[in-house]
Amino acid sequence: MSGERDDTAVCVDGVEVPAAVGQSLAGALHDAGIRVLRRNLVTDEPRAPFCGMGVCFECEVSVDGRLRRACQLHVRPGMVVSTGREHDDER
Amino acid sequence: MSVDGDPRPAGAIERCDVAVVGGGPAGLSAALHLARLGAYVILLDEAEELGGQYFKRRQGSVLAKHGDFRPEGTSLISAVRASGVRCWTECSVWGVGEDERTLLVAGPEDEPRSVSARAVLVATGGYERSIPFSGWQLPGVVTPGYALHLATCDRIPVGQRAVVAGTGPFLLPVSCALLDVGVEVAAVVEVNRPYRPSLRVAAALAHPARLAEFASYRAVLARRKVPLLQGWQVVEANGSGALERVRIESVGGREAGREYDVDALAVAYGFRPATELVRLLGARCEVRQGDLFPRTDGRGRTTAEGVYVAGESAGIAGVHVARLRGEVTAASIAADLGLPGAAEPARATLRRLRRGEAFSAVTADLYPVPDSLISGLCDGTVICRCEGVTAGQIRAADAVGWNDRNSVKGATRAGMGPCQGRECAPAVAALCGASGSTEPFPARMPIKPVPIRVAMGESAEEVS
Repeated sequence: MSGERDDTAVCVDGVEVPAAVGQSLAGALHDAGIRVLRRNLVTDEPRAPFCGMGVCFECEVSVDGRLRRACQLHVRPGMVVSTGREHDDER
Repeated sequence: MSVDGDPRPAGAIERCDVAVVGGGPAGLSAALHLARLGAYVILLDEAEELGGQYFKRRQGSVLAKHGDFRPEGTSLISAVRASGVRCWTECSVWGVGEDERTLLVAGPEDEPRSVSARAVLVATGGYERSIPFSGWQLPGVVTPGYALHLATCDRIPVGQRAVVAGTGPFLLPVSCALLDVGVEVAAVVEVNRPYRPSLRVAAALAHPARLAEFASYRAVLARRKVPLLQGWQVVEANGSGALERVRIESVGGREAGREYDVDALAVAYGFRPATELVRLLGARCEVRQGDLFPRTDGRGRTTAEGVYVAGESAGIAGVHVARLRGEVTAASIAADLGLPGAAEPARATLRRLRRGEAFSAVTADLYPVPDSLISGLCDGTVICRCEGVTAGQIRAADAVGWNDRNSVKGATRAGMGPCQGRECAPAVAALCGASGSTEPFPARMPIKPVPIRVAMGESAEEVS
């Protein structure tokens, strides 16, 4: 924990997570201990951000209902994030 | 609103003199010069703010608490915005129209847009040269660039204890940045031996400023007692659900392997140019060491008329060269479009560009990627991380006798996931036995994944 995460919160899979406005979303999730953001659709292995620059798509999550790369977004108050960490019957 | 100006309805074609794709050092520099010559410029970038990777901005409370990071980036961006360049951020160029020139764009709300320009400047930068190894898909394994951005822009440690590995001068500042946010760096693992006296190192003596920069990083590592191993490579990352242990071996196997208990591994072997858009626009590239480099006249002109390239997408050479290439390419575009005020680049600019490119050639010589990194991979190693395709599957498909790499791609699905082969294509090519004579994979639309309705040219409103 870096001590930066104190001025807002984002909702991640239904849980409020403290974050700092302007941090990359990928960074804020990492700092909150949420390392795994999705499971590989083929192998079901856990995956986490890898390249951090929008190339690998390993950090893709749903943000306010749209699929986005967490490394390309910055934290805004009230963001609603849904990860693919756990098994989801719909997938 | 991140689309500057008075955007036409989604779907209408926006016309301009020059479309610059990529708002990093090269794109910013070129856009600024062209706008000052009176060109109507649209600058597109897929991120929320301009700057690219090198000039990535601190924002919000991190900016308030820690101050600006690389303030020269902030001034360059301000100058561009003040110059009349129309900046379209959060805009992804995903394809090219039938005329091979019109750029197809997904806007901030995924709405379809298109830009038709008299000249297109591709300044899409580069990305890290990742080479697959056993366990590289484990959470906790990242690129040095990501570890650096976490440390510098977000002020977040990538882990408690890390190994930094691969090759290139970039590993040194990354290691220092990690130390700065409290990460224990267990070792820097460099596959080459660039920090020992040799004739090739002597060539770098002609560039004292850069040598002084590297010496300062090495002094920090020495003071913090971080071992800098040369001639060693990462062979395996292990852990249950996330990284717990990294195994390294000496190149040639002369010494016994070593293991480190770490929760982070930052590894890459330098950078490769992002050439998808250049190729989609019909410009030719050549293959060197398995990576693609656009052919240019040395001043940003590609083999396709009206298509230009600058910055790292023209060849990896660092931020100073990127800015100079932006400036020089802007002069080429201005001359070709017949803009009033078009002039030859200043002699001093061309001289600095030549020197910078010479230094990057020295660097490339010092930090090559050994072929054995890929040829020595075990069959079980995942190569295409998106589709979970292993080295063994690719070798088996190649042994069937397919005529080309696309058939291997079709047979195994390697390169068909969301990253579209950006991470694995050179490794797939190397495993197929091709020594890099042809393109790893051709560039195909969409070069970035977009919702299907964007590709169909419909806006969100029309669909919902």
